Amino acid sequence: MHGLAAITAHNGWAMAITGACIVMTGLAALVFFISQLHKLISLLEKKEKIAEHTIIPLAEPKVNRPLVESSDILSDLEAAVRILRPLTSQLGETFSLLNLYQLLEADQYPHPHITVREMRNAGYLIPTGDGSFSWRNI
Amino acid sequence: MELLLEFLKNTGWYLLDYRYVLMIAIGIFFCYLAIAKEYEPLLLLPIGFGVIVGNLPFFKGFGLGIYENNSVLHYLYFGVTTGLYPSIVFLGLGAMTDFTSMLARPKLMLLGAAAQMGIYFTLLGAMALGFAPKEAGAIAIIGGADGPTSIFLTAKLAPHLIGPIAIAAYSYMALIPIIQPPIMKLLTTKGERRIHMPEDDRTVSRKELLFFPIVGVLLCCLLAPASIPLLGTFFFGNLMKVSGVVDRLAKTASSSIIDTATILLGLTVGASTQADVFITTKSILIFFLGSVAFSIATASGIIFAKIMNLFLKQKINPLLGAAGVSAVPGSAREVHLVAQRADPSNFLLMHAMAANSSGVIGSAICAGILWSFLV
Repeated sequence: MHGLAAITAHNGWAMAITGACIVMTGLAALVFFISQLHKLISLLEKKEKIAEHTIIPLAEPKVNRPLVESSDILSDLEAAVRILRPLTSQLGETFSLLNLYQLLEADQYPHPHITVREMRNAGYLIPTGDGSFSWRNI
Repeated sequence: MELLLEFLKNTGWYLLDYRYVLMIAIGIFFCYLAIAKEYEPLLLLPIGFGVIVGNLPFFKGFGLGIYENNSVLHYLYFGVTTGLYPSIVFLGLGAMTDFTSMLARPKLMLLGAAAQMGIYFTLLGAMALGFAPKEAGAIAIIGGADGPTSIFLTAKLAPHLIGPIAIAAYSYMALIPIIQPPIMKLLTTKGERRIHMPEDDRTVSRKELLFFPIVGVLLCCLLAPASIPLLGTFFFGNLMKVSGVVDRLAKTASSSIIDTATILLGLTVGASTQADVFITTKSILIFFLGSVAFSIATASGIIFAKIMNLFLKQKINPLLGAAGVSAVPGSAREVHLVAQRADPSNFLLMHAMAANSSGVIGSAICAGILWSFLV
């Protein structure tokens, strides 16, 4: 079979027209996307920048560790108070010595048995009477 | 004496006839074009030598010829018949292609789609000349002016035509400087050829380059899934290049891997033109249809650019339409040269590369469409 009859018999017209339309549509879609791509990217970048400037990063609540050496806790009573006082703020107004020791252990401070006794003697730590302690108001 | 005569009867000289001589002459001519004229030497040299090797006559049954099982050439030819080499070539092409110019000028991509019309006109022409639908589809893809795509689709639709179709596709790609300029001049006025394209296109960001291969593979391969073997590797190669994190892989893909595939592809395609299989009326018709396909593709790109100009405030140079065929970078270079002949201050290369790159994508989509229509 030859000529137009062959084209018609093999569905050639439909194949040619559909094929041409598909390739045009495909590349037109790609053209559209590409022409919008840089706008989309700049929009995303703008959003990121705005987010960076407006959102305050939520930092984990930290106990301000005073700038003293951990060895000071054993030798210098004043220094020990400066270390321990902020630490116990997370335990509340009154706290037990057991909780205080646990905190110090977690922060890898040396065990301050003697220091705590001295702080009691010096009046820095005031017993509340129920086994708990509080700090003397400065 | 009898033994000597027997030996002489087994030599290639005894078995040689005019068909083999003709094909060997064609092979030598291809080598000449590659070496002396530097017409697509990377393709024409391996193909030309392959034609010579494939047309050395031998006794059938010794496992020597490319169409004989167990021959070395047959095993190498496996990569052609399965579509393996074209996929690998596309991987390397992707790793070599810089889409910056195309992303900066997206509207020029439409020219890459318009230039594919040659494929569909040729499909109709081949059917009208009496080719079976699958053969017509394989012949039509020559209009895409893309060698690997032509071989890939022919391997899937009409493997017996790989030789003539591959030779036609590569020949016309090599002959771009001869075929395209007359069509360009015929369809454009000197004034149109002098149109300058704006140089103030925007800068393409790295993020765009990174997004493109992913979006490209999704859009194109979802539309025509049969193009996955070509476009999948093509966009993957490009992503390796632009990502910057696998430079070693991208370099290998764009050098050693594509070079190996090109050597084996060229040599075996050339060798597949064995005279007794190749010299047929069909081959001559294929060459004729191939030239028609290539010419229509060039013309349809130019005409579409002129149609676009009817709607655009900033006119585009219609020559760019001719670069919509996917012969990278030959047709872009030719467009640039023709424009420069009309006006030496007119530089169209980067704009032509935009249309050219989109032509590669367009022809691969067309191959996928034809495969899904005709398989």
